[in-house]
Amino acid sequence: MEPAVLDSGSMYLKAGFASPDQDPSIILPTAMSRVEEEGGNGNSGVIGDITHPIKRGMIKDWDAMEDLWRYVFYTGLGWEPGNEGQLLVAEPLLTSKVSRERMVQTMFETFNVNGLYAVEQAVLSLYAVGRITGVAIDAGHGKIDIAPVWEGAVQHNAVKRFEIAGQDLTDLLAKELAQSQPDAKLDLAVVEMLKEKYATVSKDSSGYAATAEDCPSIEHTLPDGQVISIGREVYTVGEALLRPSILGVEEDGLAEQLLRSVSMCSPSENQRQLIENIVLCGGTSMMAGLDARLHKEAILLANPSVRPSLIKPPEYMPENTLINSAWMGGAILAKVVFPQNQHITKAEYDETGPPIVHRKCF
Amino acid sequence: MYGGDEVSAIVLDLGSHSCKAGYAGEDQPKSVFPSVVGSVETPGAVVDGGGDTDMEAKKSGEAEKAKSRKLYAGVQALGYRRDYMEVVPAMKDGLVADWDVVESLWDHALRDRLMIDPKEHPMLLAEPSFNTQQHREKMVELMFEKYDVPALFLAKNAVLTSFASGRATSLVVDCGGGSTTVAAVHDGYVLQKAIVRSAIGGEVLTDCLQRTLEAKGIKIKPRFSFKRKEIRQGEYELIPLDLPNTTDSYYAYAQRAIVADIKESICRVPDSAFDETSYANIPTTPYELPDGQIIEIGADRFKISDILFNPTLIQTIPGMEKFGTEAGIPFNGLPQMVIESINKCDVDIRRELFNSVMLAGGTASMHQMKERLEKDLMEEAPQAARVKVLASGNVLERRFSVWIGGSILASLGSFQQMWFSKAEYEEHGPTYVQRKCP
Repeated sequence: MEPAVLDSGSMYLKAGFASPDQDPSIILPTAMSRVEEEGGNGNSGVIGDITHPIKRGMIKDWDAMEDLWRYVFYTGLGWEPGNEGQLLVAEPLLTSKVSRERMVQTMFETFNVNGLYAVEQAVLSLYAVGRITGVAIDAGHGKIDIAPVWEGAVQHNAVKRFEIAGQDLTDLLAKELAQSQPDAKLDLAVVEMLKEKYATVSKDSSGYAATAEDCPSIEHTLPDGQVISIGREVYTVGEALLRPSILGVEEDGLAEQLLRSVSMCSPSENQRQLIENIVLCGGTSMMAGLDARLHKEAILLANPSVRPSLIKPPEYMPENTLINSAWMGGAILAKVVFPQNQHITKAEYDETGPPIVHRKCF
Repeated sequence: MYGGDEVSAIVLDLGSHSCKAGYAGEDQPKSVFPSVVGSVETPGAVVDGGGDTDMEAKKSGEAEKAKSRKLYAGVQALGYRRDYMEVVPAMKDGLVADWDVVESLWDHALRDRLMIDPKEHPMLLAEPSFNTQQHREKMVELMFEKYDVPALFLAKNAVLTSFASGRATSLVVDCGGGSTTVAAVHDGYVLQKAIVRSAIGGEVLTDCLQRTLEAKGIKIKPRFSFKRKEIRQGEYELIPLDLPNTTDSYYAYAQRAIVADIKESICRVPDSAFDETSYANIPTTPYELPDGQIIEIGADRFKISDILFNPTLIQTIPGMEKFGTEAGIPFNGLPQMVIESINKCDVDIRRELFNSVMLAGGTASMHQMKERLEKDLMEEAPQAARVKVLASGNVLERRFSVWIGGSILASLGSFQQMWFSKAEYEEHGPTYVQRKCP
């Protein structure tokens, strides 16, 4: 049986068997709703609120997460209880030791997996484009992580976590639309869809300023029949990533954070190679115009002799590699790690306990 | 008491230049950031509570005088230029000067970078070898009262460096950011009477380099003070930004960061004492500043590093002539400090100390430092002594040797019974630290 790869994100959970040239077979929203069951009746009662067990990349509700994983493993992947396979887990950066150990414990004790390997998402994203050195900017729903990786090792000291991500952009869009069209009733799922469809990053900051005066207005028909017109809001949402003051956050934008992160990497000679290998991946990175704008800003901010460049995935990888790059990289790595027995086996776990993850996977 | 494997201890090393924090058992600190914070003062909130009792009246009186200070710690927060943000260092002369700043630095390290709950992890703190009783007690109090740690231990920097190399006896030469300290460690204890300190550290060298460059007419522009704009394809123009509310201390801090990078990339220790004439014709090395200027540095690369060995050179740098003439910590060259320290020890152990001189600290990672120190010591030392200078080959290991020693110590099985626990603190008070952490 092929090893399985699991990448649990704040918005989507990606899972599937490791087949490097294909997309993950399961992409589920990471959302659970608690259903109350009427005693004895078997009927499902009131559908409760939707909870998101993963907030800002960190697992907060372990019980809900366990239920979700149970569904993925037994129903989604088709594992049989008693004959579970091997698993490669993609973890976000800055996961605390305690959280890691708990995840390992859950996998081995609750789900009885045969073998486990845990890797950070940044390293996997780089593997997906065929590199071991570079800067991975993983722009997700709950957080954006900027992580320089040198020869497969994440430079923990230089890692930047940007607390502004897809979720905040959706909120911003909802707020802006509420201001320009107070009558329209929009719930967050609809705003999310609008954001994905229309949000654009202007070519440069003067381009954004120009949209204040003149901006094409788009008419959109919502599923419930309302028609709304969207104008400058789509550009505002894009600009917020590069200038967080729009969101009211006192921080530097994505481009400055990227360069600062690289400048914290120890030997200065390495910094050039890092800037010349930037991978922009994750759901939020699919925003129209983001890669070109980021490239431009990086050139302006970097030293004149350095040429920042964004890596494009190789041709043999599928179209949307960059959205699910952590999962793809995991699929590639799984083919190497498990056959060579570098993973944690059940026997080793039984002997040492959860802390073995720190020794075998780093 | 606390199992080595189940509960992971945290090692914290607060230095004059940078703060290192991480889990025990690892080979490098997970989080390293400058030991300064940005402080923005906002005219303070007066306590407005109805004021019935005398207590209330007193409180509101105090609050009027106190302005609330918002502290920003960590590279991310410091890198963002804010109006009126002053840069405040945590340490002065090697000892803690501002406890609020220390608290915010620890908060940043523990909660933002390591993401742990201090209640669950014993803490090993590295302290300067000449730390005073008062400072120790205050540190212990802060840790137990504010962070509620289950146990802690204070270990002297020199002892930890010694452990990092696996020796119980050695002479530790710690060239750090704020100062240089030479301390003799014998059987795991620092010999207090043999500690020799000098005010010359990495930051002094950075200052010298900055003055030298300014005297040559090179102006260093901090990153936030300009913006680049593309005028034509491939051609860029530099636009200076006018930011009047930037404080001088922040401007200076940003400039120093650039000069420090220049120092770290191109300064080298000369093989023998520096003199102007013989180095006058040395070829120059180029360095590109963030704004695009390319500067050429020649003999100064060696002059700056040689200040460690020959401090009188400082007087030749324009703008630094008065350095050291004020009363305070004296400054001597490194080899002289080593000899002085060894001479203050017992005759019996001097031989062993000469044989194991350990180099540690960020400034000690300069190229050729080890070879030069060995050569100078062999000249100055008495004939019979065999001098050996030890330094880790890996630059990062030299810089973090105190932290690494702490990591090793805190993960030893036999160390686990030596922790100073919260129960003991509650029973005996902070002065008990003298007994438990010698």
